[in-house]
Amino acid sequence: MRRVSVDIGGTFTDCFVVWDGKYIEEKALTTHHNLALGFNEALSKAYQVLGLELEEILAEVDSVRYATTLGTNALIEHKGPRIGMLVTAGFEATVPLSRARGYGEGLDDLGKQDLPNAARPDPLVLPQMIRGVRERLDFEGRMVMRLDEEDVRVQIRSLVDRGAEIIVVSLVNSVVNPMHEERIEEILLEEYPSHLLGAIPVILSHQVAGRKGEYVRATSAIVDGYLHSTMYHALSALEQNLRAHRYEKPMLVIHNSGGMAQLNSTDALQTIHSGPVSGIAASEHLAMQAALGNVVATDMGGTSYDIGIVVEGGIKHYDFNPVVDRWLVSVPMVHLVTLGAGGGSIASYDRMYETVKCGPESAGSDPGPACYDRGGMRPTVTDADLVLGYLDPKNYAGGSIPLNPRRAASAIEDALCDELDCSTIEAALLIRQKVDDNMANGLFTEMRARGYDPKDFTMLAYGGNGPLHCCGIAQNLGIDRILAPPFSSVFSAVGAGNMHQLHIHEKSLYMVLYDSNSRHVYDDYDRFNDIVAELKESGTQDLIRQGIPRGQILHSLELDMRYGNQLVQTTAVIPVHELHGPADVMSIISQFSQDYGKRFGEGSQAPEAGIRINTIRVAAYVRHETVQFDDIKPVAQAKRKAPPAAGSSRKCHFVGHDGSLDTPVWDRAAIEPGVQIAGPAVIASEVTTYLVNPGWNFVSAKQGASWFLRG
Amino acid sequence: MSETNVSTAAKTPSAEEIALIKKFLNDTTLFLGPDPEIMRRHDLMPRSEAEEAAMQVVNDVHVTAKIRDRVQAGCDEGFEMVEAMGAAPGAKWGDVITGVYTASGDLAIASAGGVLIFSTLVHHPIKFIIKNWMNDPTVGVREGDGFIHNDSRYGNVHNTDQSMILPIFWDGKLVCWVASTVHEGENGAIEPGGMPSMAETSFDEGLKMSPFRVVENYQIKRDVLTFLQNSVREPKLQFEDMKVKLYACLRIKQRVEETLRTDGPQALISTLRLTMENVRAEVVRRIREWPDMTVRTYIIQDSTLRENCVVKINCQLTKTGDRLIFDFRGSSPEFTNRATNTVLAGLKGMIAQMFLCYVWPDLPRGQAAFAPIEVVTDPNSIVDCSYDAPNSQSLMSIFTGFTAAQHAVAKFLYSCPEKYTKVHAPTFNMINTFIWGGVSQHGETLGNLCADLNGMGHGARSDSDGEPALAPIFATMADIGEQELNEEEVPFLQLVSKKMTKDAIAPGKYRGGQGYTMMVATKDSEQWGFMTVCQGAKIPPMQGLFGGYSCGAYPLCKVKGVDVYDVLLDEPHKFKHSIAEIMNEQPFEGASYTTHHMGMGFEISKRGEMFMISQGAGAGYGDLLEREPRAVIKDIEEGLISEGVAEKLYKVKFDHATLAINQDATRELRDKERKDRVRRGVPYAQFVETWNTPKPPAHLQYFGCWGDDVGTLYVGSPEITREADKPKPNYMRHPKDVRIDELEARLAELGALGDEKK
Repeated sequence: MRRVSVDIGGTFTDCFVVWDGKYIEEKALTTHHNLALGFNEALSKAYQVLGLELEEILAEVDSVRYATTLGTNALIEHKGPRIGMLVTAGFEATVPLSRARGYGEGLDDLGKQDLPNAARPDPLVLPQMIRGVRERLDFEGRMVMRLDEEDVRVQIRSLVDRGAEIIVVSLVNSVVNPMHEERIEEILLEEYPSHLLGAIPVILSHQVAGRKGEYVRATSAIVDGYLHSTMYHALSALEQNLRAHRYEKPMLVIHNSGGMAQLNSTDALQTIHSGPVSGIAASEHLAMQAALGNVVATDMGGTSYDIGIVVEGGIKHYDFNPVVDRWLVSVPMVHLVTLGAGGGSIASYDRMYETVKCGPESAGSDPGPACYDRGGMRPTVTDADLVLGYLDPKNYAGGSIPLNPRRAASAIEDALCDELDCSTIEAALLIRQKVDDNMANGLFTEMRARGYDPKDFTMLAYGGNGPLHCCGIAQNLGIDRILAPPFSSVFSAVGAGNMHQLHIHEKSLYMVLYDSNSRHVYDDYDRFNDIVAELKESGTQDLIRQGIPRGQILHSLELDMRYGNQLVQTTAVIPVHELHGPADVMSIISQFSQDYGKRFGEGSQAPEAGIRINTIRVAAYVRHETVQFDDIKPVAQAKRKAPPAAGSSRKCHFVGHDGSLDTPVWDRAAIEPGVQIAGPAVIASEVTTYLVNPGWNFVSAKQGASWFLRG
Repeated sequence: MSETNVSTAAKTPSAEEIALIKKFLNDTTLFLGPDPEIMRRHDLMPRSEAEEAAMQVVNDVHVTAKIRDRVQAGCDEGFEMVEAMGAAPGAKWGDVITGVYTASGDLAIASAGGVLIFSTLVHHPIKFIIKNWMNDPTVGVREGDGFIHNDSRYGNVHNTDQSMILPIFWDGKLVCWVASTVHEGENGAIEPGGMPSMAETSFDEGLKMSPFRVVENYQIKRDVLTFLQNSVREPKLQFEDMKVKLYACLRIKQRVEETLRTDGPQALISTLRLTMENVRAEVVRRIREWPDMTVRTYIIQDSTLRENCVVKINCQLTKTGDRLIFDFRGSSPEFTNRATNTVLAGLKGMIAQMFLCYVWPDLPRGQAAFAPIEVVTDPNSIVDCSYDAPNSQSLMSIFTGFTAAQHAVAKFLYSCPEKYTKVHAPTFNMINTFIWGGVSQHGETLGNLCADLNGMGHGARSDSDGEPALAPIFATMADIGEQELNEEEVPFLQLVSKKMTKDAIAPGKYRGGQGYTMMVATKDSEQWGFMTVCQGAKIPPMQGLFGGYSCGAYPLCKVKGVDVYDVLLDEPHKFKHSIAEIMNEQPFEGASYTTHHMGMGFEISKRGEMFMISQGAGAGYGDLLEREPRAVIKDIEEGLISEGVAEKLYKVKFDHATLAINQDATRELRDKERKDRVRRGVPYAQFVETWNTPKPPAHLQYFGCWGDDVGTLYVGSPEITREADKPKPNYMRHPKDVRIDELEARLAELGALGDEKK
């Protein structure tokens, strides 16, 4: 296999090249003004390893795949066009009011609770750029008020006169009947034909999001419209760069749904968070190949701790209404939780409970932890890690950031020691314990809310601070196995290399499988089958458009279901794609009951209240060859090798241990696969520090994989 | 026969005799009603022996911090489960709380989200269970039990909220309780939706559940469930949500049991106790920082939801040393046959909510955050009603009580050196939404309300405008929902769902968050109706701050005698998406156009009849003449105010075509207005002389104290009073009887009164 996959992040462009059994991981700084430059630089490092030219590589690879946080950054930086918006008259304030709770979406708990300080984020569409058009459909798409076309023309002209660079249309109930949205598009094209210079792009909400909910669909269309131009130009530039270097196949873009597609089949909204989602995909792939069972993927960086759950059997966890930056949207996105905990989390004295609190405030990278010596005065997790002896002040981040231990110690002392009446080391241990507890609690809540027991999971720990804190976190959760995965420094790029082309289509509906009033069981099989067939065909056409033969296209069917009038919609993956009789209906009900009971507790099911389907969702996909990892399982105990002599040793302090422990320090590069090192130990690499707590063993495996095993 | 002296004078009973009498009385209690010992106390219970012992063993603050975080995570997990699984609209928008209570019944740790008023209420029914059922051989409290409760007189806001309460045992000993509470809506009252304004006695208010067992061996008892389902209009909802609350409690219980397994019961007991004591101590410390002073304020309710009247909520807030005392004496007497009364616990809960959301949002949620604060009231008053008084519309009094407290507290915060959030004007405080009920287009019987009640406008801040539709005053992160999803369930459309109500503002240097318009009309059902349960149609239910204004008054408007759906299809140009245009232009021929106060009893609506209201604005902050002219123009651009308001009220001069501000002319206009204000003003003594009257007016029904004398309460007339501390009934006549009398008087005047009257 020959393949290039890239993850363009805010700081680094990570590149992973597979070339005839060779795996090359490289990084370069992201070049925001022209993403192609960073890409070329990262790839040039790789082709130097292979002894090839860039053109030779690009001419031979089966695909080039991109995951990118570009869209996320554009949203955060508020760089986008002036949007004009048409909504159903009477709903003009739907977006500005943001379902009330919009003020707190994307904030931490204190931000959500502090009402006098609450403020909605700066809008992506100014209120004066939102216009109502006279029309209305009911919940079944029946006409209530015809579209007033003259009114539409007046409103469009007015928006354009006020500087609209793109028009977003989001009408009530357009997902069940898009006729008015489509007619507005026709009118817009009549007024501003696409071949003329004054042409204005238009986004129709029903084409961006297929489910009901006029607010979330509107925000989805807005975010899509807001990012459309930025993403189009950036990704087109990348594609042109590839063309200029003899790459003749379509460029593939990673979607946050966990799939990928060509540029002509990608909404801007689908690219948001595709980097972290690729990390989850890599975890899934690794779990499957290495037979790890259930895994929880954790990525701890400087400011955040991302969590994703991958369970055996392929059940995917999606957010159907994820929060993107500060905006609640409607798009099926691989579920990812971000906690505000990282190396930069600031520790402070908790006056009320006379202990330490940690985060959610973060020193970020600028000024960063106090020990960076860049002006940060408040103690952070990294400062505690340094004071406790885990980090080498001269070789942190490959030596690129010199650390100042005295600054770290004085920051801790100034902020905590007097109040806590303790030593610097004791305060640092409390910081360490607190941040690990916070992350463990976040993980626990996340897993338990989905019906899983952490003890049944292997933890994957990556990101700059992941292997440094994983033992403390896992210990709190009762997890005994941690894997720092192979190629962990470019793990998201690895995930991008294993994606399949995939498109998700869904339809909101009111379908009662069991009516508890009439005690009637669903029997309109044709309606169900027709909808599924229509959704399958839409996905099929997406893939055919990208050159995939119809015969290679596969489908999976998911139903969002609920009991009675609940809010929750549990997603059931249904093997039966067509209904032919009561047995098929009962099999759906049974599958739903099983999934629901697993999540909320066996016995919590309430079929007596009726059973409904709210959304039918079809994923159309095609399988591609995937990257094959070596056998990275830890070798049997008896076959494990003794480590080479440690390069040095340090006095380190550990939670639960009085005084310091003599802790040997190794260079990760010097440790062969199959070596076991008993904790306490520190193993340093250019990108991270592996901290092996007492009671844990470090076992190295192939391709740079590293295991932490308890007991 | 010898004579003996028999004394007839009662002698002082001995201790044995007192004990004997007490035992007799205990053994012969007819009815275990709400217990004043429980209901009037909101402070923490004294440390129990088990707590003392546990705190001796486990007192490392870092260990208890770890356990607390874990229990907190369990509560949050339970909260998320209820919010996700709940069938009641209230559950979906976060009108929920979950918590862990000590063995003595105090709420130690509550979910971070949800309706925090519950955090100071649900401890009452638990303490009732402990006191009365624990040792009762016919009841008892055992592992696997679950108790249900909703009656506010035993500790709740109103009886539309239902709680599920589970004891947790370890090695056979009770170590704590877990509970989950949800605003359910329908409860079998005389009107659908759970909050009847027509209730004249507590027996009109539907299910009134004192705490009783519904769960055994972690299973809901089917016979009891059936009885409850049989008592409400939505048996499906009753079933679903009892189950949801039970399973949420079980999930929290699992989390607690993990802690019990890893750290032992003493660690848990010590953590729960220390958590409460630490928070209580912190609150006292914060109170100590406030300036010693007294602030007086009041809020007016303009109806009982049945008739117009003037009802005073009087509030005096005093801080001295460590003590902070809310004194509501002088507030209106309770209404014997109106539902707007609240029990004292409800008022306290709402004030606690204010502190947790608006004063100290960083404090952990729990009972301790309000424990050291004192509340004083008159007995049998509208904020401290008796057992017999209906209280299903207690929100009217707890919300106006909240606003009085919020208004008073702002003055303290302004002068307080350390602030934990911004000084702000009062939030809009009425549930301006439609309650609905009937048979849906799917044939289901439903009764509940639109989530728009969560869209209350927020008060202006010391440095910025209030946000529109931020949150209800009783919760954070609540949701006004998605209309497309609502329309799937209910047979009416919001023809106008969310459109800012132009000029319905609360001006100031910083204005309040604006309200928005709602117009509803039934479409696909012949058995459907609406009600509204708000005050503030004639007198705004709040006050501005430091010169800022309150919001305006918001009436209910109805258009009848028309099927608006025919109009929308056949003559769409006649329909306007604005209440003002429809009411002023009256575009539908033959229709009737009427305005009303906002206490509309449940009213069946015919297809296409329109009901129209506006959500309210939060109060303004500071003098409106200091508002930046640019901000005024921005309000015009965003459709919040008209050009007339900008010019006439804010005194901003601008070009109407370009909206360019004429700064010089604006300055002149504002200077002139300042001078005019001085000219219009009169010396204080003169003002008092011309303004004050010794008694309230005779032409309005007035309730509450008048002036500084809080010892005398007026009861609807300047001639009828009661001593504040001596309760007496306060019956209101049925509005229809009043109307009949008026009409008969009119007929008599015309000489047309028939013989039937004789």
